[in-house]
Amino acid sequence: MADRPLPQLPPLPDEETRTLEQAAAPADPPPEPPPRRRARPEGDDGPPRKLASAGHALVVCVLALAIGLVLNAPGAHKNAYNKPAGWQRDVALALTGPLAGVSHALLLDRPRAGVQTAVGRSGNDDIDTDLGLPPTSVATTTPATTVPRATTKKPRAATPTPPKKPAFSPKRKLRIWIAGDSLVITPGYAIVRAAGSSPAMEPVGTVDGRVATGLTRPDVFNWFDEIRHQVKELHPKVVVLAFGGNDDKGYMTGLPDGMSVGDFGSWAWRKEYGRRVGGIMDTINRAGALAIWIGLPQTSSQDQTARFDVVNAVAEKQARKRPGRAAYIDTYTMFAGDDGGFAQYLPDGSGRLEKVRADDGVHFERAGGDMIARIVLKELNKVFDLTSWRKKQTA
Amino acid sequence: MLFPTATFAIFFLIVLPLSWLTMPWPHRWRPFIIAASYVFYSWWDWRFVLLLAGCTIWNQVLAVRIWRTTDRARRKGLLFLALAGNLGLLGYFKYYDFFVSSTDNMAAIVGYDLPLSLKAIVLPVGISFFTFMAISYVVDAYRGEFEPTTLEKFAVYLSFFPHLVAGPIVRPSELIPQIEKPRDPRRVDTSRAFYLIATGLFKKVVIANYLASSIVDQVFAAPGQHSSLEILIAVYAYAVQIYADFSGYTDIAIGIALLLGFSFPQNFDSPYAAVSVQDFWRRWHMTLSRWLRDYVYIPLGGNRRGTVLTYRNLMLTMLIGGLWHGAAWTFVVWGGLHGVALAGERWWHGRSVAPARPPAGWPRWRARILTFHFVCFAWIFFRSDSFGSAWDMIEGLFTGWGEPSPLVTSGVLLAIAVGIGSQYLPARLPRVVMARFSRLPVLAQATVLALALMVTSVLGPEGVAPFIYFQF
Repeated sequence: MADRPLPQLPPLPDEETRTLEQAAAPADPPPEPPPRRRARPEGDDGPPRKLASAGHALVVCVLALAIGLVLNAPGAHKNAYNKPAGWQRDVALALTGPLAGVSHALLLDRPRAGVQTAVGRSGNDDIDTDLGLPPTSVATTTPATTVPRATTKKPRAATPTPPKKPAFSPKRKLRIWIAGDSLVITPGYAIVRAAGSSPAMEPVGTVDGRVATGLTRPDVFNWFDEIRHQVKELHPKVVVLAFGGNDDKGYMTGLPDGMSVGDFGSWAWRKEYGRRVGGIMDTINRAGALAIWIGLPQTSSQDQTARFDVVNAVAEKQARKRPGRAAYIDTYTMFAGDDGGFAQYLPDGSGRLEKVRADDGVHFERAGGDMIARIVLKELNKVFDLTSWRKKQTA
Repeated sequence: MLFPTATFAIFFLIVLPLSWLTMPWPHRWRPFIIAASYVFYSWWDWRFVLLLAGCTIWNQVLAVRIWRTTDRARRKGLLFLALAGNLGLLGYFKYYDFFVSSTDNMAAIVGYDLPLSLKAIVLPVGISFFTFMAISYVVDAYRGEFEPTTLEKFAVYLSFFPHLVAGPIVRPSELIPQIEKPRDPRRVDTSRAFYLIATGLFKKVVIANYLASSIVDQVFAAPGQHSSLEILIAVYAYAVQIYADFSGYTDIAIGIALLLGFSFPQNFDSPYAAVSVQDFWRRWHMTLSRWLRDYVYIPLGGNRRGTVLTYRNLMLTMLIGGLWHGAAWTFVVWGGLHGVALAGERWWHGRSVAPARPPAGWPRWRARILTFHFVCFAWIFFRSDSFGSAWDMIEGLFTGWGEPSPLVTSGVLLAIAVGIGSQYLPARLPRVVMARFSRLPVLAQATVLALALMVTSVLGPEGVAPFIYFQF
């Protein structure tokens, strides 16, 4: 291939000599197909392909999709279940439900299950909407990280000293885990970078940001299970969360039988969403960790911003109910422009304009993530002692 | 509407028979395929269709006028107007905020506060591709190389849905003659079409998405938190990811066009088997490379005006190519690195036209490894969201050896090996596979494709990630 002749550069037309006749001349015939990368001896092209008719193409397409649908029926049914509420979901469920039954009865779902088992993905087609939230008696439980040790002793009556903050050091690091929907990804990595600069902090696990998920649709992704599992596995002392970007809809799965939440933002919706947000916070608290909830920012769409306000109000209320165990980070005002509205660019510390929001008007750019990370770290420094180890070291 | 979705499958199952049924009557087929393409495009945002229609009319009017005008100055003026319209469109939607913020920041350095305001402009999908195709049409008319066709045919050329959002960048002389003549419904290259669609889906859904979620996104987001080995493997993984993502898309696009009876040019030809950077650009995004050659490099003077100007032209072409990929200085640096490498190769060979071969005395494997690693190094700037992040990646390559590397798993290494190894497969192999497939009975063909679909579905992640090149 290296020894092939160089392709000739196309000759440039001579504008000066172009005539009207030439201009009116018919277009050149279609060029020859591009030369092959390497010259091949006669017969090295492999056996010739049989061309087919357009009808053949259509029949193969239809049959392949039909057989593929039957073989993948359990996955197709789960995808249908995960669709946003509406007629499309209803139709998809009506079609894929019976199809999954037929596929199962005829054992045609076995090849898929076999491949899933072989690659360690068995159970991927299960639809799990069980929230498994802890009972709401949160007031009785307090995570170790936020309980000042001094509170177990009798407080001095005369001059109350601020409660002693739990201290962390390079030997006993503050373990931070980050999870949420797509809005957590950029700030999450910014927190990981920022935490990495302190020897007393240690991000654990990966930034668990999952696109198009939330707390209203455990069938799409069951965050309640995931968080329960990860806090047991990773033993974080802080869990940073961002949810709600996909929850601004009047539809929820995983509801108790007979319950309905009505329209988005209704009293029943707020109550149920609050139960879920509070349940997540409680799960984290019970594992002895502090929950830091990153609120939703305003977006380039005013309607969406109004809906995000509702989600934020619920999350903030739940965080307030858990002082010392949960904190709410308000990003709404953080990302407001001069006029108080959406801003894609904001000045940094030196007045230099930086792009803080992505082109979609919702997600964050790296600089935006860094802004949130600074606030999160500030919050961590309020709750935990992350610096006294330095003094001890120098002493 | 993304290719690997049920929505597109339904759309295509409607369009495929209707396209062939209307094909014998071009006056019916053309409006039909324009309407289908506009529906496809409007799936993102219906307002984008207005932009595409406006771009079509603007370029058609000017191309016809250019062709009919004999006055040289007037033709140049019309060409300038057409280019200004296309580049203005691209500049406004893609680069406005980038230029404003860059200008504002530069002015701030010298103490000026410019009264420039930023706008949150939504980038229409595929705008970079269809404006480049429109420029081809107008410039070819100006050069007298291609006579403008009718508005209807030009609208089909520009909006034809298989290439609309991410290429390949098809030249007027390649597609418009096919649009003018009804395709033969008895001679459809179905086996190649299905092979391209199946392998394209696998590359995109399995390889690209797996590498992105398993290592690339995590390491590039926080290089300081990862070991040198993880960073090195993440760079290789990104090289495979972007190849699998983009070539996967164009494979599907070419396959779909083939099922509709149309032939698109090849866009990738085993780029990581290249023996020089020039060779790489003959194999990577080939339709963009030749567009840049024909509409930027050659008009700048190409290699005909002396050595120094040849280097300048190479640099300018690659810088423009870099900026085409995105409104960020990291893309410009990526293009600049390739420009320097191309100029360096030319200098090394000491010839006016550098051959795409390794330096004399170099074994091919050494040239391939060197080229691959240069390309990977340049990808660091392409993928990083800032220079700081790119520098962290480069620094991290040297400072964290011996640290634990949990992200370097056997799955990641296997996916990288498959991605790179596939480029060294004998060219005969796919031909044999396609030929054997073409001789199978209908039901067997359908079953093979259904099984391929099933494996891709099981191995791929849940949901559909957008293609990387959509943002360009």
